[in-house]
Amino acid sequence: MGLSFVVFLSSGLFLGWSLGANDAANVFGTAVGSRMLRFSTAAAVCAVFVVIGAVVSGGGPSHGLGRLGEVNALGGSFTVALAAAATVYGMTKFSLPVSTTQAVVGGILGWSLFSATAINWVTLWRILGTWVACPILGAVFALVLYQLTTLAIRAVKPHILYLDQWTRIGLLVAGAMGAYSLGANNVANVVGVFVPASPLENVTFGSSFTLTGQQSLFLLGGLAIAVGAFFSRRVMMTVGKDIVSVGPVGGWVVVMAHALVLFVFSSESLQTLVAGMGLPLIPLVPVSSSQAVVGAVCGLALARGVCGMRQIRWTVLRNIAIGWVATPIVAATISYIALFVVQNVFEQVVFV
Amino acid sequence: MAELKISPFRTTKVLRAQIDELLDVVSKAALAYKHGMSHVIRSSWDDEAEERFEQVSNFETRGDQLHDMIGRSLFSEMLLPDRSGDVLGLLGSLDRLLDEMEKGFVVARIERPTIPDELHEKWLGCIAMVADTIDQVVLAARSYFRDPQTALDHIHKIHFFEKETQRAALQIMEQVFRSDLPLDQKMQIRGHIWLVYRLADVADDAGDELAIYAVKRSV
Repeated sequence: MGLSFVVFLSSGLFLGWSLGANDAANVFGTAVGSRMLRFSTAAAVCAVFVVIGAVVSGGGPSHGLGRLGEVNALGGSFTVALAAAATVYGMTKFSLPVSTTQAVVGGILGWSLFSATAINWVTLWRILGTWVACPILGAVFALVLYQLTTLAIRAVKPHILYLDQWTRIGLLVAGAMGAYSLGANNVANVVGVFVPASPLENVTFGSSFTLTGQQSLFLLGGLAIAVGAFFSRRVMMTVGKDIVSVGPVGGWVVVMAHALVLFVFSSESLQTLVAGMGLPLIPLVPVSSSQAVVGAVCGLALARGVCGMRQIRWTVLRNIAIGWVATPIVAATISYIALFVVQNVFEQVVFV
Repeated sequence: MAELKISPFRTTKVLRAQIDELLDVVSKAALAYKHGMSHVIRSSWDDEAEERFEQVSNFETRGDQLHDMIGRSLFSEMLLPDRSGDVLGLLGSLDRLLDEMEKGFVVARIERPTIPDELHEKWLGCIAMVADTIDQVVLAARSYFRDPQTALDHIHKIHFFEKETQRAALQIMEQVFRSDLPLDQKMQIRGHIWLVYRLADVADDAGDELAIYAVKRSV
């Protein structure tokens, strides 16, 4: 592994760090904000499971992203990741809701336009489809989970203290699942663009355990996200306080629905199972955890009927929707300009 | 084999036992109050009244201890972060009931009132009803912890018993002031029945708070 690769990868790792700092809040924000879990516990669990998810199941979404546009030069990968990171950083600075996934897809589209590489429209439409499906699926999962949870609580009638303790355990388990799915699904955003140009080779530990070059890359990405999770306290508190009106049980529903959505778009086993049943293929692409959480919160509000609907802040939802449309466009524009600068000013190869 | 001491429900079990004990203490104190005060009305202050007073006083002390322990555990263990205020408010109301019951005995012990025979029946009925009011508060509180919807079913009974107690207390006061008793005795009797009236009022306030907490839990 040459020094140039490390330097180029730094933009991806920075993107991973910011993804961890932002998206760990989607996983554990409700639990920490409502003081059901300590921040240190949440960050540690998040870090461990993000890394496991990235290494074990990060392959599927990465291939999905690769099909959109194979960024085939390290300079190009660096610039695309940097453009995505700059978009995320800039939009967050202006308090605009932002999705790392959309920023990366925008960055890749910018590269495709710059390198005049044909855009894979089928994959692009599939990814755009998931951006619509992801919040809807989050809402449906939350709605069903909420109904089932309420029914179970009414049937069992647990003591308030036991309900509290079970909710804590549930939040920890759902958060761990969410973190695993976040690592599996979103590591492709962080280092996915480096896969085609990565010089990393297989590493064998002892006689039986081998880490492929791609898995090593995902391990680095996962570690970057994991480190970012420890810097997510403020975002977690903000997300937690914004969503705290849903209460601890509602919070569990949101975190669980979010984890399920990410799992659906990451699991190769589930894709095989669904295909075996003759159902339409689930695209394995990185999806936005923010979209999943927003969808789940809306689903929870819908499940509570008119009273819940009144709680939805439609202006905030409108701003979020605007952010979802703006992010890929901004990222594509920054990526295009940055690629021009890197190629012509720094004289780096950005595509082959 | 060594018993596994680490359990995520260890603190929960201890705290639940403490809450249940506090509810039992209030319920038992209401019974002791009913029997003790009935005895005081019928036979004035004697050894049995003294015994009942000590019982209620011990219940009040234990209630204070439990209230403090539960409050400390809730905050130090970060339990029920969204409901700890409500739970402590509810337990505080139960503690106030214990205080009021003890106060009734303390005043009777100091003043040793003589209640005219013609007031006995009404007075005993009044004491029985205030004990029922407290009992309904305890039942509603127990339901709150498991099934808030059922708590609301007990709360309307609290309001009913409170109204009946206060109606009977006012009738006693009117009867006393229309009688030929000396003014100092009238004032003394008024003071004692007023304590029963206030006890019902405190129980009713607890019911009102409980209704809000139960609705908050149901939403």
